[in-house]
Amino acid sequence: MRNQEKEVTADAGMYVAREKIHPREVKGPFQTLRNIAVIVLLGIYYGLAWVQWEGRQAVLFDLPARQFHIFGLTFWPQDFLYLALLLIIAALSLFFFTALAGRLWCGYACPQTVWTEAFIWMERLTEGNRQQRLKLDKSPCNSTKLLRRGSKHVLWVLFALYTGFTFVGYFTPIRELSVNVATFSLGGWETFWLLFYGFATWGNAGFLREQVCIYMCPYARFQSAMFDPNSLIISYDEKRGEPRGGRGRNVDHKAKGLGDCIDCNLCVQACPTGIDIRDGLQYECIACAACIDACNGVMDKMDYPRGLIRYTTENAMEGKPSRILRPRILIYGLLLLALTVGVLYSLTLRTPLAMEVMADRNVLYRDVDFETIENVYTVRILNKDSQAHEYVLTVDGLPGARVITRPERIHVRAGSTDTVIARVQVPRGAATGPGHPIELQLTSQSDPAIQSTNAARFHGPDE
Amino acid sequence: MNRAWYMRCLGSTLWPSFLAAAVASVVFFASIDPQTLQMQTVPDWNISRMAGYTIGFFMFWGVGLLSSSLTYLLSGGNSSRNA
Ligand code: SF4
Ligand code: SF4
Repeated sequence: MRNQEKEVTADAGMYVAREKIHPREVKGPFQTLRNIAVIVLLGIYYGLAWVQWEGRQAVLFDLPARQFHIFGLTFWPQDFLYLALLLIIAALSLFFFTALAGRLWCGYACPQTVWTEAFIWMERLTEGNRQQRLKLDKSPCNSTKLLRRGSKHVLWVLFALYTGFTFVGYFTPIRELSVNVATFSLGGWETFWLLFYGFATWGNAGFLREQVCIYMCPYARFQSAMFDPNSLIISYDEKRGEPRGGRGRNVDHKAKGLGDCIDCNLCVQACPTGIDIRDGLQYECIACAACIDACNGVMDKMDYPRGLIRYTTENAMEGKPSRILRPRILIYGLLLLALTVGVLYSLTLRTPLAMEVMADRNVLYRDVDFETIENVYTVRILNKDSQAHEYVLTVDGLPGARVITRPERIHVRAGSTDTVIARVQVPRGAATGPGHPIELQLTSQSDPAIQSTNAARFHGPDE
Repeated sequence: MNRAWYMRCLGSTLWPSFLAAAVASVVFFASIDPQTLQMQTVPDWNISRMAGYTIGFFMFWGVGLLSSSLTYLLSGGNSSRNA
């Protein structure tokens, strides 16, 4: 307890001292990779909303109609299981990749990182590089400062608003939405969510940045549980680097007893979370590899071998062999594979039809005439297909049973539900007493493969 | 009440309750249609599904926020001991 409190204190103290971090721009393979990731992911986010598929938006979470469209597939609330499975798969992949390669997610794919990067680009465009930005921060208020700051904020706000607009566009058809925006006839809820999401983007990517990772992100806190000594981490090679110290380019540092680290601080300046990787693995490190690129640049200039800071594993640092295949990886991997295959398989088997059968609760059975007994059911039909169908209901389970619906061929439009009354008639004598199991089967007339079967109970008179 | 306290407080109350509210809304509204709910409780109040979702989300957020704030308070996140 004592200890913990101390830790928190130190932490909060550090926080007070925090100044706005202006990460230094670096060049290198990892930065390139990150740029590609940002462009691809943002491209998907902003582009996908506009893709059409069979006459409607390809990816649309139509909340008002309670249907999700993902390309050719339509999901209903009844398909909630798929959503749950999808979330489990997502969580498992996160475990899997974290155990394998550390915080790959944080450095390259987390929306927080991606949007922050985009916002930093805009900052760079308007306020210049790190030095210029630092100078601008300190400079007194003048017209240049106002102009640069102002244009940055205009860019940010526009970008954030467009982000909010796209977000809402996944829930309300984006083409309609854009017309509504252009004609100032946006609905109240849409306006609200647009502004809400835009504001969140603006705040998180423009101002909070690394503080989201440090103070708010749950993943950052529990990821250490997923690490093991074989996980890929970004680490400074202390043995090689220390003792650090400045030196001229042509000095034989080994003779002077110095390590390879020239103490230029570039890795610290490049770090978006403002930490010093040379202090060891810290939970603030989002594994963005900016320090690797920065350090490798320095090593090249000094003619030292690269990799003073590099991707490695705890085991490798201690000179032990690293293993990729280990029980944890195998278990995560197998689970992931099994679940994914299972979901895909069941998706291909999914019939685009569902029904519910409810027995009439008021009357158990009815005498139609001397020979026939009748039970009445309400059948709710759910056509999940992307085209209309005509269905016919049949019954099975009792000799001589037949079912009457009106109309006989039940027409249900694409992606909608309908309710019919089904009267099941059975010859007297074939069903004495209550609770005979019967089966109602619904079959599409245009595609007999599309059918659905429901069990029900048939009640007859006692003698 | 410095900025650090402020941030820490918001970060550990607003945000977790937001995440929890998002999950709760998805699970709740996947099985319950706000329109049915409205018809069975306040049939005279004419609101759209979108409004139902939004109200539901903010209700969950509110409850989560209350819980998070209490946890924060009780576990000594208060600045008097830490700042
Ligand atoms: S720490 Fe959290 S918010 Fe930050 S990059 Fe990682 S997952 Fe994203
Ligand atoms: S220490 Fe290096 S890898 Fe970690 S966040 Fe900072 S720059 Fe990125």
